[in-house]
Amino acid sequence: MATTMGRLDSANLNGGQKLAVKYFLVAGILFGAQILFGLISGLQYLMPELLYGVLDFSVNRMVHINALVVWLLYGFLGSVYWMLEEESQHEVVGLKLGNLIFWVLTSAVTVVVLVYLLVQVGPGNQTSLWLINEGREYIEAPRWADIGIVVSVLVFFYNVATTFSKGRYTGIAGVLVLDLLALFGLYLAGMFYTPNISVDQYWWWWVIHLWVEATWEVMVACIMAYGLMKVLGVRRKIVETWLYIEVALMFGSGILGLGHHYFWIGTPEYWFTIGGLFSALEPVPLVAMVVHAVFDAGARHAKNSNHPTMAWLIAHAFGNFFGAGVWGFMHTLPQINLYTHGTQWSASHGHLAFFGAYATIIIAFFYLAAQRWRGGVWMSGELPGNGWKWKWALGLLNLGMIGMTVALLISGYEQSQIERAIEGSSWIGYFAAQAHPWFIQGMWWREAFGVMFALGFVLLVWDLLTIGKGETRAQQAIAAE
Amino acid sequence: MIEPALLANFFTIFFSSAMVILLGALYALLFAFSRIKGERRLMPLAYLSYAGLVVATLTLAQAANLLKQPFWFSIVLLMLLGYLLAPHGIWHLCVSTHADEAPRDSAIPNSKQDFIS
Repeated sequence: MATTMGRLDSANLNGGQKLAVKYFLVAGILFGAQILFGLISGLQYLMPELLYGVLDFSVNRMVHINALVVWLLYGFLGSVYWMLEEESQHEVVGLKLGNLIFWVLTSAVTVVVLVYLLVQVGPGNQTSLWLINEGREYIEAPRWADIGIVVSVLVFFYNVATTFSKGRYTGIAGVLVLDLLALFGLYLAGMFYTPNISVDQYWWWWVIHLWVEATWEVMVACIMAYGLMKVLGVRRKIVETWLYIEVALMFGSGILGLGHHYFWIGTPEYWFTIGGLFSALEPVPLVAMVVHAVFDAGARHAKNSNHPTMAWLIAHAFGNFFGAGVWGFMHTLPQINLYTHGTQWSASHGHLAFFGAYATIIIAFFYLAAQRWRGGVWMSGELPGNGWKWKWALGLLNLGMIGMTVALLISGYEQSQIERAIEGSSWIGYFAAQAHPWFIQGMWWREAFGVMFALGFVLLVWDLLTIGKGETRAQQAIAAE
Repeated sequence: MIEPALLANFFTIFFSSAMVILLGALYALLFAFSRIKGERRLMPLAYLSYAGLVVATLTLAQAANLLKQPFWFSIVLLMLLGYLLAPHGIWHLCVSTHADEAPRDSAIPNSKQDFIS
């Protein structure tokens, strides 16, 4: 393949990577939308009259969270298409269909966002469920869009499974193909209506916990395995062995960790037992991960071909450990979760865990894509300006996120004490907690760190568009396979 | 089935829970460093971290009323056992999966025999 070093040129990419870049571009736009609507909804906590009746808090929050879910999904689809041809050593089967589905899905997402922003007030009935809003928190997309997502994932599954079956079927391929089946199947759990709120919530959590936390985690593990081979030159045999171990550990503690979401929705008491046990054991694989990271760092001295990608992979390991491990375990046992569930404490955990476990690894892939798109340019040490843009973007995004997490923690701590423990989860308690100075100060700090995060995003976009521009050195060679 | 925590114990629970994970990670980190660098003096520090983890876990268990019922008490014991053995198990797996890789650092054990010794 002829390359044009230092210039963004599609000729530097294979078919799957060209499609991946489209997914990455939309993911980046939605990431920006997520931050924008997060900043507005954060401000509405402090100024409730802001945009009232024009762009209500309920709509802003919904767009903020849905944009997160969709940009991460786009990032994962892009990452898999990115590695598909190299991993299978075969052209993507059904690439035209994959491209068609990209445009259909992106058009559908645009329509859904416009409907979110323009048509959200009125009675709820079967028509609104199908056309306007399904009503389930985090997966509010109307039914027609739900079906569209399932069809898109099916086409994605077809692209991936058939490409691997016609090309090289690696260990990563095996795990990925099975995971995509689950990605398709579990989403269906959130698509049928039941008048019993406990039953409804029971299935809804399958989508929220198992779809987002289990199938996405496995996809991240596959993407990470490929990333480690590309950036650090780790041997395939080692990476694939660890992929199996990691998936086993994740499923061993993660699937029934679902129980900690069933504590307060009207399910039987044995969920306390199941949720408590597996929640207590969920962090054990994270501790095990520390040992493996030290072992690997000692074995290869972190020599790598792409410093920004490597830095974001490290941010992923730390973010996952603190966001999911520390912040999760602090409030997951039912004896304390009774008071913290659904407060800003959950939001604090959610922010750091989603950023640490998912956003970081997709950003790492953005940099891998930028490197190849410019013809496989040098992205190790001694970048122009000492690589200040990627370093500052990394710093601002991570510090901004840590700041938001701590600020939300303070507000959540106050809520769990005043609203839940003292006032007994009453309406009076709810408003008393929201008017308390500790809550308000926490929210102001969250907004300030949100602005810092937004600045980091602007710098990240600028860096991704310019890094490697005019570079004449080829990327550092790293042994692989 | 559960006895909710007292308001007065909130901070103790949050702090001790965080310490359980952080000391668990510190134990794993020192354990792995001690093995990979051949620094035997780090191993007592690793087990000191684990002792801290035991204290944090028992504090959490006391504050969250986990010691009063056999089921929750057994979870506490399981946690302590899991955190103790996980780094050993993963180290063993690390050595086995890297067994046929040419060693770039002589301090890294390259076989099961090295691991045992």
